[in-house]
Amino acid sequence: MAASVTVACGAGFAGDRVEPAVEFARSGSVDAVVLECLAERTLIGGLLERAADGRSGYDRRLRRRLEPLLPVAKRAGCPVVTNLGSANPAAAGEAVAELARDLGLDGLRIAVVVGDDIHQQAERVVWSGEPGPRDDWLGVHAYLGMAPMAEALAGGADIVITGRVADSALFSAPVAAALELDDRGLAGATTVGHLLECGGQLTGGNLADLRTPAMTAREYADLGYPLATVWPDGTAELSVLPGKAARLDPIGCTLQLLYEVHDPRAYLTPDVTLDFAEVRFEQVAADRVRVTGARGRERPERLKAVGFRQASGMVADLEIAYAGHGCDTRARTAGETMRLRLERLGVDRCSIDHVGIDSVLGPATHASGVPPAEVRMHVSAVCASAELAQAVEDELYTLTLAGPAGGCCLRSERRPHLQVESGLIERAAVRPRIEWCTR
Amino acid sequence: MVHEMKVRELAAARAGDKGSTLDLTLVAFDQEAYETLARALTAEVVAHWLHRTVDGPVIRYLLPNLRAIKYVAPAALAGGVYASLRAGLHWQKAAVWLLLDEDVPV
Repeated sequence: MAASVTVACGAGFAGDRVEPAVEFARSGSVDAVVLECLAERTLIGGLLERAADGRSGYDRRLRRRLEPLLPVAKRAGCPVVTNLGSANPAAAGEAVAELARDLGLDGLRIAVVVGDDIHQQAERVVWSGEPGPRDDWLGVHAYLGMAPMAEALAGGADIVITGRVADSALFSAPVAAALELDDRGLAGATTVGHLLECGGQLTGGNLADLRTPAMTAREYADLGYPLATVWPDGTAELSVLPGKAARLDPIGCTLQLLYEVHDPRAYLTPDVTLDFAEVRFEQVAADRVRVTGARGRERPERLKAVGFRQASGMVADLEIAYAGHGCDTRARTAGETMRLRLERLGVDRCSIDHVGIDSVLGPATHASGVPPAEVRMHVSAVCASAELAQAVEDELYTLTLAGPAGGCCLRSERRPHLQVESGLIERAAVRPRIEWCTR
Repeated sequence: MVHEMKVRELAAARAGDKGSTLDLTLVAFDQEAYETLARALTAEVVAHWLHRTVDGPVIRYLLPNLRAIKYVAPAALAGGVYASLRAGLHWQKAAVWLLLDEDVPV
């Protein structure tokens, strides 16, 4: 057994930067690199693609991400753990095998974790809301725990590809594969996973801490992503690679510890119920923070499930810009005009706001008191049909001739009207397993 | 005489979302700031601020050892961010300013 394990977050969402993972693998100082690329809603894109073509549905950035990473990681003996499999991990495994062939990487051991797709067991899910009709799911997935990933790593996988798993489990798996973890150790490793899973958000990104000067553009452009060394008792140290720009301190760590957590004394993961109330962060060096005190209780009896459905119709999303003296008044009049015209078309759900005035925080916006130099009036309208969406779009374009002066820079797009539902499913209904595609 | 400070002078913040739930975290800069915020920013006060732009109840969790306060609004993002009709959908990332720009008596 190793004395400690160092895991790194090479990506914290689907569109994240490519090079942090390569730098981690090349550094020789990490034991596993994790690419967390599948947010709750990111799966929808994969489901839509898989519905159109059964061989697609995995993250379409897979090749761009892995092409520079796999040769370096293989040479360094640093396994990669990733949920790039999205809605089709088996097809992702084949794509990785093909990439390995192209790269001349002989003997790459590829493990695919399947079983998160529970579409066939959807009727066994207890939904937390009112999910409406029961038969029109785009997909239903359960959040798997770390066990199959840890087993694959212990079995010698160079890369483990999953679909929907708990994000924190991507990171605890390589720790559990290499260390004998007791309860405290499991709680610590899972907490570390939760801290690392959003990449740069732990090390200075999206940090609303207004006491200290913001990081510079150069620092953000080359932000150090986080790594963690974990010991068997669950103690860990969070840091970045030497020389990387970062802002890693207890305040930022606490924000990330509680990020997207509901009850901080009962954070449910597939492997352990975490209690964060006694967690301590201690600055032990510049950009190095020790974390202790995560406590674990028995894991939840049931697994989280998430279902996606495409509601009928679509959303028409439109903007028109106004500039110069009085642009805010003209933009508001344009919005009111749209409201009157859309009522006549029978649109009953729409939102009208003004980019530059109130489009982000809505009616809660504190007015600046300074007239804006330009404003974009934005409309999103739920449309039952493509014909209605066209009519709504035409109303926007008509504003250029039959509305306030100077309407310009119009854009319009349509997007599917998607909904996410969450629920719980008994563990017995979910059967994760490993498929090896060794080439 | 009652003095006021902006929440942003007392704490750092981050917003997150899961499904229909909006969550906001404040981490106070020091013990005194934590006590001020814990006293002033009850769930009711924060609900009042949030209700200018989103609906539903607000649950508060106090974490004195972390000097942190957590607000969870389970119905604020009904249907998830993809169901949002706001410009650019993901407005909730900025929802921390619903708290940071407000005044608290100190």
